[in-house]
Amino acid sequence: MTIRSAISLLAVAVLLPGGASAAEGDVNFSRDILPLLSNNCFKCHGPDEANRESGLRLDQQKGSVAVLESGHRAIVPGKSGESELFRRISSTDPDAKMPPEDSGKKLTAAQIELIRKWIDSGAEWSGHWAFQPPMKPPVPEPVAGWRTTGPIDNFIHTSLKAKQLSPEEQASKETLLRRVTLDLTGLPPTIAEVDAFLADNSEQAFERVVDRLLDSTKYGEQLARIWLDAARYGDTHGLHLDNERSVWPYRDWVIKSFNRNQRFDEFTIEQLAGDLLPEPTLNQRVATGFNRCNVTTSEGGSIDDEYYVRYAVDRVETTATVWLGLTAGCAACHDHKFDPLTQKEFYQLFSYYFSLTERAMDGNALLPPPAVKVPTDEQSEQKKQYDEQLAAASKRVETLLAEFNYTDPKPDEPLGTLSEAELVWIEDSLPAGANAQGDTPWQFVEAPKPVHSGKKASVRTGSGDGITQHFFDKATDRLKIGENSRLFAYVYLDPKNLPDTIQLQFNDGTWEHRASWGADKAFGAGRNNVSNRVVGSLPEAGKWVRLEVTAESVGLKPGSELNGWAFTQVKGTVYWDTAGIVSQSLSEEQQRSLFAWEQFQKSGKAPTVPEDIKKLLDIEREKRNDEQKTLLTRYFLQHVHPDARAKLAEPFAEQAKLKQQLVDLENAVPSTLVMEDRKDARQAHILERGQYTEKRAAVASAVPEWIAPAIPDAPANRLGLAQWLVQPRHPLTARVTVNRFWQQLFGTGLVKTSEDFGVQGEQPSHPELLDWLAMDFVDSGWDVKRLLKQIVMSATYQQSSRVASGKLAVDPENRLLARGPRFRLDAEVIRDQALAVSGLLIDRIGGKSVKPYQPAGLWKPVGFGGSNTSVFVQDSGDKLFRRSMYTFWKRTVPPPSMSTFDAPDRETCEVRRARTNTPLQALVLMNDVQFVEAARKFAERVILEGGSDVDQRMSFAFRSVLTRLPSDAERQSLTRLFHDILSEFKTSPESATQLLSAGESPRNDKLDASELAAWTMVTHLLLNLSETVTKE
Amino acid sequence: MDPFREAELVETRRHFFGRTATGIGTAALASLVNPDLFGANPNGTDQATRRVPGVPHFVPKAKRVIYLFMSGAPSQLDMWDYKPQLNEWFDKDLPDSVRNGQRITTMTSGQNRFPIAPSLFKFNQHGSNGAWVSELLPHTARMVDDLAVIRSVNTEAINHDPAITYIQTGSQVPGRPSTGAWMSYGLGSMNQNLPAFVVLHSTVNGGFGGQALYSRLWGAGFLSTRHQGVSLRSTGDPVLYLSNPTGMSAAMRRRMLDELSVLNAQRFNEVGDPEIQSRIAQYEMAYRMQSSVPELTDISGESKATLEMYGPEVTKPGTFAANCLLARRMAERGVRFTQVFIRQWDQHGNLPNDIRRQCGIIDQPCYALVQDLKQRGLLEDTLVIWGGEFGRTVYCQGGLTKENYGRDHHPRCYTKWMAGAGIRGGTVYGETDDFSYNVVKDPVHIHDLNATILHQLGIDHERLTYRHQGRDFRLTDVHGNVVSGILS
Repeated sequence: MTIRSAISLLAVAVLLPGGASAAEGDVNFSRDILPLLSNNCFKCHGPDEANRESGLRLDQQKGSVAVLESGHRAIVPGKSGESELFRRISSTDPDAKMPPEDSGKKLTAAQIELIRKWIDSGAEWSGHWAFQPPMKPPVPEPVAGWRTTGPIDNFIHTSLKAKQLSPEEQASKETLLRRVTLDLTGLPPTIAEVDAFLADNSEQAFERVVDRLLDSTKYGEQLARIWLDAARYGDTHGLHLDNERSVWPYRDWVIKSFNRNQRFDEFTIEQLAGDLLPEPTLNQRVATGFNRCNVTTSEGGSIDDEYYVRYAVDRVETTATVWLGLTAGCAACHDHKFDPLTQKEFYQLFSYYFSLTERAMDGNALLPPPAVKVPTDEQSEQKKQYDEQLAAASKRVETLLAEFNYTDPKPDEPLGTLSEAELVWIEDSLPAGANAQGDTPWQFVEAPKPVHSGKKASVRTGSGDGITQHFFDKATDRLKIGENSRLFAYVYLDPKNLPDTIQLQFNDGTWEHRASWGADKAFGAGRNNVSNRVVGSLPEAGKWVRLEVTAESVGLKPGSELNGWAFTQVKGTVYWDTAGIVSQSLSEEQQRSLFAWEQFQKSGKAPTVPEDIKKLLDIEREKRNDEQKTLLTRYFLQHVHPDARAKLAEPFAEQAKLKQQLVDLENAVPSTLVMEDRKDARQAHILERGQYTEKRAAVASAVPEWIAPAIPDAPANRLGLAQWLVQPRHPLTARVTVNRFWQQLFGTGLVKTSEDFGVQGEQPSHPELLDWLAMDFVDSGWDVKRLLKQIVMSATYQQSSRVASGKLAVDPENRLLARGPRFRLDAEVIRDQALAVSGLLIDRIGGKSVKPYQPAGLWKPVGFGGSNTSVFVQDSGDKLFRRSMYTFWKRTVPPPSMSTFDAPDRETCEVRRARTNTPLQALVLMNDVQFVEAARKFAERVILEGGSDVDQRMSFAFRSVLTRLPSDAERQSLTRLFHDILSEFKTSPESATQLLSAGESPRNDKLDASELAAWTMVTHLLLNLSETVTKE
Repeated sequence: MDPFREAELVETRRHFFGRTATGIGTAALASLVNPDLFGANPNGTDQATRRVPGVPHFVPKAKRVIYLFMSGAPSQLDMWDYKPQLNEWFDKDLPDSVRNGQRITTMTSGQNRFPIAPSLFKFNQHGSNGAWVSELLPHTARMVDDLAVIRSVNTEAINHDPAITYIQTGSQVPGRPSTGAWMSYGLGSMNQNLPAFVVLHSTVNGGFGGQALYSRLWGAGFLSTRHQGVSLRSTGDPVLYLSNPTGMSAAMRRRMLDELSVLNAQRFNEVGDPEIQSRIAQYEMAYRMQSSVPELTDISGESKATLEMYGPEVTKPGTFAANCLLARRMAERGVRFTQVFIRQWDQHGNLPNDIRRQCGIIDQPCYALVQDLKQRGLLEDTLVIWGGEFGRTVYCQGGLTKENYGRDHHPRCYTKWMAGAGIRGGTVYGETDDFSYNVVKDPVHIHDLNATILHQLGIDHERLTYRHQGRDFRLTDVHGNVVSGILS
């Protein structure tokens, strides 16, 4: 391009969004004039009633032509000379001039001229473009000679033609494949995928690729990753302690939703109001995690009311940014300065979110309610299996009971004398359900070591002066305490290593029941009460001695039940065996009589029975009906009758085991935060200057109807809000949404300010295309995959992204799209790409977030001591190599290799990431262990899979990362580097070994260290290439 | 153009000519002299010097800032705000007329009474203006003639997270850029080897603890992430990812970077994307940082007299004393904004002991830093700021005895000091009532304080704005007045 034509292009370039020019022809109010008025005048003459100057309102036509307090009219259509507005903006008198000097605003001569022209041509008025419902505009004719695939290209080409620009030719197949694969999956294509695409010469080759990518589960991950910026998803609460929170099942829901191509309108409704749908499914409730992702606090001293307000404000702002493209937050303090959103309307939106059941203080809890349990598919399957097995075991019990056919041998005999019976609770194994613990684990010995009975005894040797012990709790087979029960255990003290103290502790829910022998040095020393009954001196050493203590003396009442027992000592070596209880009980013969047992129960000396059985016993024998009799007999057989118990022991144990497994499974099921409304709604008020204490008029939930009419009969809750957002004729939702997807692919939206479609936002570069896409999207049933396919199939998307200097000069940001998209990859994609080409990537979907490498000592210097995220504990194994979207996001200290590449902190909603280019990014790629390790494993692949000589391997390495072959110059450059470095490593093999030690993945020892290290330098360089971190 | 920077660029150019004869076209070279010659110009920053056109708005007094941040909120009553008459109020209730129904935190709002806890510490007058300073700060007391002590600082936030977020970013709710980020955005960098905005965290008795800090406190908010503060760490790499991997010598790194530049330059010639040139330059700066940062943190060249001035802890990396010395070294090397954090000032109980410990740690290094800067002629264009996020209550939290007490959060008045760069030394500004509860004269809201900081840097706080979501945001929101009463 000649300099001359570049200059003429420069002149057209001012037509780009934001810049207004009359050169285009007619003045367009919405495009050319409204932004000028908004930017320069609305702050004092706009929608904000409280701060309006001189009674002049310029954001509405009515106000602009009205007679003012001064008697003038700001605008007299057709007559700039009589228009006070024009007099003021063109005045040189500092007192009269508008905007005033101290506002920092200034209109250029060209802008003033534009306004004059507009007034003189009749001051035609229209609303702001984005608030008008989109109409599907006619698709322009194709530009002759340019490759077009349909409407998108026709719109783009028409505007290029008008600006005397032409599109670039189609990018190479390699470039195209890398571009679309990175865009739709966030990962690079494999060499096999490249080969397949290159080999496919059919017309449909690219479409086949696109369909394959859209079907890949990685598509959902990529789309979800981007959505999670908007959702401000994080793994911690974000404020003060910044403790861990669990909302990752919501993250996984987003992935699944994109993968099954859920309609975007349903996607919207479920996230905003899934809980309010009729009979919501679990998934629909999980979806509402979207608005539980906001930051919360539990800082001591905080005032609840202040935070209820802050949370609701955040949710309104987020909803408005994501769906409306509006900066609603401005109206929290005053009427919006630029858009017609009043403060009252803001608090009507706020009201939707002001009545949740959540507490203001999150309690620093993992799951501040409301939350729901979300079993994984595996867990649901496992539960089903356990349930079936449990049913089978129960059926066996039923069968056995039926077969037993019990009749009382002595139905009328008085009780007679009771005997003492010993029940051993702890023998060679622990009772069912016991959770064994200890300072060090339980240790068992067998003969010839001392054993009292059975095969084994437990043993413990104390070290130092401290108390040491082994114990269990949570036994489901509990030990029942009866009248005059005595607890016992056998002990053997090693005469060569005597303890100072031995102690038994009993847990009936608390451990405050203890007995000790010897020096009073164990738990509860000095008390000598139920919490530490000092029984006497140490028993004789070198022999088994039975320790016995009455239940009463350690505060255990009849009817209580033990679930735990501790063997405790101070110093020495102590063997323990055979422990249990001696209780007054029925003789074996008596135990065969239901009536005898009944009398025993009524004597008050027996262990307690469940409440329902007790009630049955309270009924006089003669008055029990058949059902009651059966129930009672069953209980008796199951728990008392020795023969029946023996027969039932096995299925009972099976039942107990399964019940415990179900409990464990239930405990392992993850939970996630969800939304839920209070039954008694909290009244919202307009808050003066947004201050929670400054309540003004009460308001009810309502939508701003100037944007779109409320849906008739819609519920006055979040569901109604969501339905209003996704009505087909809504002027904002579809436009804002398609614009964000466009931004994802092209780097910049058709509206650059994708978060602000208001009057202050940038004008769309291609308004008709935006409207066409939005309407087409709605017509298609809000089909996201279709939309993305439509865009990537366009010639516009497929252009070469080569930056011709002439085009760069006229359109540095590539808003006109006279070339293909080209921009730096997102932080996560850069890391995932390195993991993929190195073969390290673990492509499991979803689950709890993981903690891959990060430099030591990042959390500690800033974390609150009591926080459960104040110390970073790195994961190992597979968890180091998951996709970056699963990296644990501590919001007050985000993962540094991510934030260095502009990943947001996730404290607030973000729909447009910055893209910087800094030295700190260079340092990450140069030195982060993740990237050095990836280079090392990548080098292993190069040697093993890349062919036999340097040339072949060089090609393999290049194609793995960049899909293309190296140029001759590149090949020479890197080959030279490889040989230089190889000889250096050969003279210093220990350096090679050191370099190959980066990261935790094992090194392939079969490969020569120097050669592997030299290839590692080559692959390391490749991972640092500008092209590698760029979508070309 | 900054002469220092220009020299750097010439150096870079020479480096390229010298090393790589191939590959880089003249366009690439031009862009190295002016890396963003072709670059887009988003948001109106002058990309070549990375500062906003027209800034500074007027002749600056300060070129740089060192901000000593006392996280947790030190008690003004025990250090600066002398209230001798309170001794007669021991264990008497704070009059309702003083509190006047103002909100207090829920940590003490449930207390039956609000008994007054007079300070245990003796105050004496110091300096030519006879400023009252407590015995906790013997070193600082010696330099009150260098300081402007502001006793009337106030804020609305009553809890740590919102309060420290507020003073650092101008908003209690996360999302806005920090003060240092605004400076970096407005004024750009003064050097090419170190970040413009550096953050240091101090240990207390060898460990970390106390109220949490958050990366948003030095974050860039909606500004470009290039403006966020870079933490300089006392263990591991001082700047994250600075060291080459083990086994990779500096020479090998250089060799790899040379080849990388050649390949990147070749790519530039093919595709013409100016971002590639920028990336070449960034890799060169990363390489330079690999030597400039270790040079910065190597204090072996400091004189014995200097080290002694900062006290015995100065040689232990990560201590407040060591960080103060580093702050001076950064001031010498053109770092625009250095913020040193020290935590554990949150003394709800056991205040006398804990505040003794804290003052013992900070007093001498604060003194040494100001004197050291002064001796080197740097104080005249370095603004030094000391203080926390709010103050503490006159009434006791928890048990009150003559020897022991605690104080809750108090946003309505507290004390900070500033020194250097056009600040009038020997000033005591602002007055509080007899209970150090309300400001009675010359209130200084934290927005006023931030406006003053910017003012000393030559920035009109109302004019340094950034368009985000359709609105022009600024550090001071829609508030702030420069505190001219402390300026010389």
